[in-house]
Amino acid sequence: MSSSHNRSSNNNNSEGAKAEQIIFEFFAKSLHIILESRTPFMSSRNFSGEQMMCSPSSSSSSSSSVRPRDKWFNLALRECPAALESFDIGRRSTLEPLVVDVVLVVRPLVGDQMNLSGNRELIRNFSGKEYQSSGWNSDQDELGCETKNEQIIERWVVQYDNRKIRESATTSSRRSSSNKLQVMYKKATLLLRSLFVMVRLLPAYKIFRELNSSGQIFKFKLVPRVPSIVEPFTRREEAEMQKFSFTPVETICGRLCLSVLYRSLSDVSCEHSTPMSPTFITDYVGSPLADPLKRFPSLPLSYGSPPLLPFQRRHSWSFDRHKASPPSVSCSPSPTRSDSHALVSHPCSRNLPPQPSEMPTGRRKESYAEEYSPYQDFSPPPSPSAPIQAVSRGITRTESAPVRIPAPTFQTKQNIVAPSPHLKLSRHTSLKPVRDFGPGESGSAIDKLYLYGRDDFRKHSGMRLSSNSSPRISFSRSSSRSYQDDVDDPDFPCPFDVEYDDITDRSSRPGSFDHRGDIHEPLESSGSFPKKSQDAAVGALVRMLKKAPPLRQDVSESSIPEICWNNNKPARAQEIAVASITASGIALASKTTADAMEELRTYKEMKNHLLLSQSTSNPSSVTATSPFDA
Amino acid sequence: MNCEVCQLKELEVESFEIREVLRCILHTIVFHRALGLIRPKDIDLELFEITYVQCGEIEVEKKIDEKVDQFISWIEKHPNKKSQICLSFYEVKSKQPSWFTNKIERLYWEQWYINLNVLQPTKAPVGKSHHSKLVMDPGEASEERSSRRTLLEQSLQEVLFQIIKFVNEKKDHVPPINDGVIYCPFEITIPS
Repeated sequence: MSSSHNRSSNNNNSEGAKAEQIIFEFFAKSLHIILESRTPFMSSRNFSGEQMMCSPSSSSSSSSSVRPRDKWFNLALRECPAALESFDIGRRSTLEPLVVDVVLVVRPLVGDQMNLSGNRELIRNFSGKEYQSSGWNSDQDELGCETKNEQIIERWVVQYDNRKIRESATTSSRRSSSNKLQVMYKKATLLLRSLFVMVRLLPAYKIFRELNSSGQIFKFKLVPRVPSIVEPFTRREEAEMQKFSFTPVETICGRLCLSVLYRSLSDVSCEHSTPMSPTFITDYVGSPLADPLKRFPSLPLSYGSPPLLPFQRRHSWSFDRHKASPPSVSCSPSPTRSDSHALVSHPCSRNLPPQPSEMPTGRRKESYAEEYSPYQDFSPPPSPSAPIQAVSRGITRTESAPVRIPAPTFQTKQNIVAPSPHLKLSRHTSLKPVRDFGPGESGSAIDKLYLYGRDDFRKHSGMRLSSNSSPRISFSRSSSRSYQDDVDDPDFPCPFDVEYDDITDRSSRPGSFDHRGDIHEPLESSGSFPKKSQDAAVGALVRMLKKAPPLRQDVSESSIPEICWNNNKPARAQEIAVASITASGIALASKTTADAMEELRTYKEMKNHLLLSQSTSNPSSVTATSPFDA
Repeated sequence: MNCEVCQLKELEVESFEIREVLRCILHTIVFHRALGLIRPKDIDLELFEITYVQCGEIEVEKKIDEKVDQFISWIEKHPNKKSQICLSFYEVKSKQPSWFTNKIERLYWEQWYINLNVLQPTKAPVGKSHHSKLVMDPGEASEERSSRRTLLEQSLQEVLFQIIKFVNEKKDHVPPINDGVIYCPFEITIPS
């Protein structure tokens, strides 16, 4: 007798444990069903869709991929980590009710009154009443602007009511208990089937579908929550909501209850949700619409420096130098006469909209800093403004360099001799790229640049450079010098990174370049440079830069006439001269050896002229041999 | 075991809407009676903003589609008639086999009556009702059509709620879950 009693008690304990397990799994499955249909991008619809594409027989194929949890209540659902996590967090005891709040979160843009009104309209349509009436929680930032509106549109409550002790719990019949467990399990299964259908009929499912299926960006979102502390609805809120209670499932020691409070949905659809459809950003960084040149004249000088279109051009040169190809990016600024001078137009830049993807970062920053008009639409660069301003100023002066190579300047420079050591050093440091083309010859290479300066050729019309070379050279030299003064950027890859002083120093030897007549020809064209507008010159220079091929190949192929500088190394100097030109990034379009020789000839003539002038003034002076004398 | 009967709310449908409405209702009912291990499928109606659930069994889908096609054919022959489709769930009880009979008796434990009032089609050709993709008749007044469609959608939702309520309220008559049985056997009866 005692053994039978023990057996019955043991059976009751086991049955009770099984019942408790069924109840626990019922909570888990309920949560899973609710969350998978309320959590965006977590839906069994995708799971179902995948199943449709899989084997036709779901039962046969499902057996191999059935998870243990799927077998509970014979309902295989898609994996829902949110459900598992929420359940693990929320479930401390089967006696505690499980509450799932489905919150509609509307996020109006700060300061966007239109959106706010649209959201209000949405909520009004959703609840049928003013959104301020009830149930709305608003978060306000320190500016007092509403940043978030929340409303609970659904509240699911799953609870186990064990207050009512069933008489069957006291029966000692194992069979009846077992049968009751089966009945309990069957009814729980039926209830969960109804729940699965119910969650798809309620209004919130429409929102869930729209959020999931549409690729649009909505101003609201659906957030299911499992609150640890449940705030009961007010009477007013509860009056606004409808309630549906599933028939409780009788268990051995109580009953499982499932109910839902939901808001009616008058009209919640894409039409009222005013989704933010993706729009094309036409004024993206570097777009033609954001061309600074178009709006440049109307912009204030916010940085206290002249406009930086020349600056842009300069960077296009540097870009060009790095890429060893014609600059694909314009931002091509027009050259400036000086720091104070206004910009001039440069049509070539308009034809080539800036391409930020190809621009060095530094350039983009500087462009942002300086090009106020066109870049107003762009986000400010992350770099601080101070260095950018410094760069800009330097660039401004740099850009104005070509303008600052007038004939008189050139004339005053009487001592075009071999570069002084310190100058050499400075040029060396400033002409990093040049070094690549010849060890330790950067200084002399820079000298070549000086000699090839446009002013030289302009001053002495007999000399000319190719149209592609001289303007750029002069620009680069002066610009680089100015730039180098202001920005100690060792990696600055400017082909014209030449001290301006060197120009003046080297201008005293114009005659050394009059080696070849063909060199003069380009100079002739550039000799009219001061007469031409700055814009045209810069534009021509830019065009040359764009078309110029890499100069490296010219070095090896061209026959370089001997050019002797101060070290009596004609061949090497000549190589250096050409290499320097190459290394400086002056892409001389279709520059030939003949052109180079023409330039040399021009300089040679200049040098001779100076020497003659000196000799006439001082007959006792020794006539320096031309380094270019072959 | 008594047989529970549920009379669903009457729906006014047009011929081209029959397929979607019937499939929605029938699958929803069968889903509630598919107590074996299933992987449910969500199906969106094309004509209404309603998502119903299928149990995922191909045999069920075939059986329902076949009966729906038969009913549509019958409707085409008998227009403007109120019709009723009966979905019955039964248990198979094999009688004592005798020399004369070897019948398999069906014990119906649940019956669902779907009441449809098929409206006379205006300009829709016969073939359109068979198309899986339903095409709206361009000749109808759009406003009248949309209002009627809205009413039908609401009625269909009410029918689905009705199914849920019935399933929840009456559970005792449902046979126990048998291993290996995915769904309770059923039959669909259409007017003849």
